[in-house]
Amino acid sequence: MNPYRRSPLIIASTLLVFFFLYAPIVVLILFSFNASRISPLFTGVITKFGSYQLVNGNVLQSPCGPFHWFCDLSKNTEVLSAARNTLFVAITSTIVSTIIGTMAALALQRYNFRLRTFSQVSLYIPIVIPEVVMGITILVMFSQLFSYLNTSLHLVGDAQLSLGLWTVILAHISFMIPFVTLVVQARLQGLDKSYEEAAMDLGANEWVTFQRVTFPMILPGVLAGALLAFTLSIDDFIITFFTNGPGSPTLPIYVFGLLRRVITPQLNALTTVWILIVLIVVFFTQRLESRQR
Amino acid sequence: MLKRLRESKSAQGTLLIVPTLIFMIGMLIVPLMLTLVVSFGQRSADGGVIYTFSLSNYIRLLGFTSDCPPGVQTCFTSLYLVILWRSLLLGLYTTILDILLAFPLAYFIARAHPKWRDTLMFLVLVPMWTNFVIRVYAWMMILRQQGVINSLLGWLAGLAHLPFKPLGMIYTPGAVLAGMVYEFLPFMILPIYTSLEKIDNSLFEAAADLGASPFRTFLRVTLPLSMPGMVAGTILVFVPVMGTFIVSDLLGGSQVILVGNLIENQFLAARDPAFGSAVSLVLMVLTIIVTYFYTRKFGFGEEIIA
Amino acid sequence: MKRKIVLKLSVGLLILSILLTACGGGQSAPPPAATQPPAATEAPAATQPAATQASGATQQAPAATQASGATQAASPAAPFTPPAFTSQLSGKSTADGFNCPEPNPRVPVTSKELNLFVWTEYIPQDFYECFEKVYGISINYTEYSSNEEMDAKVVNGGTNYDLVQPTDYTVTLMIHQGLLQKLDHSKLPIFAELDPTYLNLPYDPGNQYTLPYENGTDAIVVNTAAVKDVPKSWADLWNPEYKGQMVFADDERTVIGLTLLTLGYDVNTTDKNQLAQAEQKLAQLTPGIKKYDSDSPHSDLISGDVNLGETWTGEAFMAQQAMSSIQFIYPKEGVILWQDNWAMLKTAPHADAAYAWLNYTMQPDMFWMMLTNFPYTNPDAGALAYAKGNSMPVTDVNGNSTTLGDVYNTYINSTITNPPLSVIQAGHRIDDVGDATPLYDQIWTEVKNGQ
Repeated sequence: MNPYRRSPLIIASTLLVFFFLYAPIVVLILFSFNASRISPLFTGVITKFGSYQLVNGNVLQSPCGPFHWFCDLSKNTEVLSAARNTLFVAITSTIVSTIIGTMAALALQRYNFRLRTFSQVSLYIPIVIPEVVMGITILVMFSQLFSYLNTSLHLVGDAQLSLGLWTVILAHISFMIPFVTLVVQARLQGLDKSYEEAAMDLGANEWVTFQRVTFPMILPGVLAGALLAFTLSIDDFIITFFTNGPGSPTLPIYVFGLLRRVITPQLNALTTVWILIVLIVVFFTQRLESRQR
Repeated sequence: MLKRLRESKSAQGTLLIVPTLIFMIGMLIVPLMLTLVVSFGQRSADGGVIYTFSLSNYIRLLGFTSDCPPGVQTCFTSLYLVILWRSLLLGLYTTILDILLAFPLAYFIARAHPKWRDTLMFLVLVPMWTNFVIRVYAWMMILRQQGVINSLLGWLAGLAHLPFKPLGMIYTPGAVLAGMVYEFLPFMILPIYTSLEKIDNSLFEAAADLGASPFRTFLRVTLPLSMPGMVAGTILVFVPVMGTFIVSDLLGGSQVILVGNLIENQFLAARDPAFGSAVSLVLMVLTIIVTYFYTRKFGFGEEIIA
Repeated sequence: MKRKIVLKLSVGLLILSILLTACGGGQSAPPPAATQPPAATEAPAATQPAATQASGATQQAPAATQASGATQAASPAAPFTPPAFTSQLSGKSTADGFNCPEPNPRVPVTSKELNLFVWTEYIPQDFYECFEKVYGISINYTEYSSNEEMDAKVVNGGTNYDLVQPTDYTVTLMIHQGLLQKLDHSKLPIFAELDPTYLNLPYDPGNQYTLPYENGTDAIVVNTAAVKDVPKSWADLWNPEYKGQMVFADDERTVIGLTLLTLGYDVNTTDKNQLAQAEQKLAQLTPGIKKYDSDSPHSDLISGDVNLGETWTGEAFMAQQAMSSIQFIYPKEGVILWQDNWAMLKTAPHADAAYAWLNYTMQPDMFWMMLTNFPYTNPDAGALAYAKGNSMPVTDVNGNSTTLGDVYNTYINSTITNPPLSVIQAGHRIDDVGDATPLYDQIWTEVKNGQ
């Protein structure tokens, strides 16, 4: 019997779920070519190239033709700055949380120390509490802290402590550390200790053993943790919503702001571009991974 | 001293854990303590906090208020308990629906030919890699009065010469459920897939050899072995659903208020951070309790890691 | 491998930037020619001193259509003539092709940034672009949808905004909370351009803290093509026939206020009994409300997601321009009057940039953009004078090409943006209720969340 043959029921439900997963995405991409400026109706694709003409809310003509909304998007400097912010926050917090998380995983897995249970428990908390609780509590803390410091240290003007990208980064690091730790811990658990023991028997001290033996072996776990952290940071909305300040929105915050105004297909164009980038990046990553194997 | 560090394993461990502790204490424990303190306070007329020790916020949450019709001292309103209950139910429904949708897909991919698994998994992940907020926007476009579904149905009705009244789908509890199910589906697919993939093919062969029907195999072999994945998926879905406020904001209009909305509301328009803090802490305790009992019964499910 | 991921990400971004720049920019309208504002002035504006709640009554009457109302003592009966304004070009233009005017006067500034905390759908994009280009100051803005939300964020601390846009009653509150700093009028020559009808209102006598931004009313908006019985009063909205079709502003004072009006009470009552009754009455209304929207209610009306409800001047006007069946009805019990203002926070880090912004965006050759973008009642007499009879080609709220003069005419002839004097006189203005604020907040929480 072919172990890969599936019952028609399974195949049908799989296709259905894939359809469910992709239908909204397809709709989003399709509407980025919509001629109508604000109506949720699809009134057709802009076909004429020429100077910009808007009649009854429909774009009849555009210098970029059907790609009008993409050109509209390119004039939008705010999007690019939001994208920059998102990447900056994600990269910074990923690097820091990966280092700290890996250290934590090593500590919890390999060593016995007094605060061990406390650390383990406190690392589980961010995973099991809703993000809104974490966002609110951090906001409460920052507000009180800044008010107190600003008045007692007499900080004024630009020197005032306030919410901004750095508070977002701090918050992101905090909720990413537990995830990284978990991933690396799992990897450490499955590790064969004999390699390390052999290295030590051969005369290597602990630091060298770590550098030359342990670390390369846990590297896939560390990278998986880093990737997970990066994903969480890029997509994060709730925690960023409570901890960011004026003028430094990340992409999810910016998109949410757009949604509160008149929604033009420019937003759809943004989605399409985003998906394109993601596809390219993930595609290349997959190719590299398979080549390494 | 460095020598002492080298020799004491305990000291090494402590050193490694210090940065983590700094973050966990500074960004988690301290804020929680502060929020606890605020939750015992009262709101000042200006929307700030008066620090006292009073359980009035918790009492209000439980439903007992002194803000009653004239002549009555304290009365009961089930308002906030209803919100909590509604959020719990939504979390439950979303989780169940997500399991039902995720399982066939995860099963299919897990038992597909190895060379296809990566590609299929990649296809599952692509929607997840688009922005969370944008995915909600997509549902707004689909469910609106003049959205995709209504336009399609209208066009079909036109073909059949039937009268058509657009369905009012958006700004209903159903819309919020659909949005939640969609948002968190990939988080359920991933862990279930991971645990299904670990199941050795030979187990299925053995079951077949022993005369078990496909259904029996599923019940006795597949399902129990996929438990860790389902548990991890449940935690990854249930907890965020309890706390998300955007989905109910954008798709629920004013009709669906969840705990997340209530909390956000108290810190913004309602200007009662003391009450908002109380609600946050109660929500947190609730999710911890539910998660604790759930993992106690079914295990923690380390397959959170894909 | 991680290095490769970063590399691939950069490649992706590179592709993105190539894709976007390849499309280039399209010019929407040919650059408008600079025009001198006509010397003609606005017709007389009738003013009434604040005897009752309905303070700040205004009317801008074009000479032909409406007779100017009778004036009462203590106010000048002479029409307000804004000083002559010379518009100069700065030589810089926005991405749309609009030629930014030169700041007149140009204010000395050393700050490099400006942080604004503003309402959604309230500031034209060209304001930001022109200001950034002309002064070289980068603007950071965050948006909010209710006064309470804005106040909560500012009170909580941890923010460093320069300017906010409180509505009348919130100004009183924020002064009381000590959040605002007094404006230095010597740094604000723009005051000369504003119609005095909108100045010196009870919530900020002498305009010590605020500069008027836009003015308007809250009233009933209806899509007459979708609703059979058109409501004529606030009380009519309780009609069960409207269930599930209504949109209301996500605004506590407005919604509670109109409920109080249906009971015959004052919108600023602090009487617990009256408020309790209002809460009960409101609880009967809320199940029929489909959506609370303070961001873009005109979108909801146009798309058909809702058919009627309560909203503001500008939103109703934009909806009507898109769909003529949409009407703005002034209810029998009286409208709610409001005025939005610019105010500077005490902790503003960039006060000089803030003054520059205020003077620049409200000068006549800039502020007319409110007519084409967010048409509310405009307190800037200079801008209105600039717009009148102006043949500069612009795009209106629907995106159709027209002239500025035509936009002005539509504005002045519409009873939405230019309400009749009787409506203003019968209107109610919301005031800060001080210690009773938590009562209102709690009612709002319970009623809004109680489904």
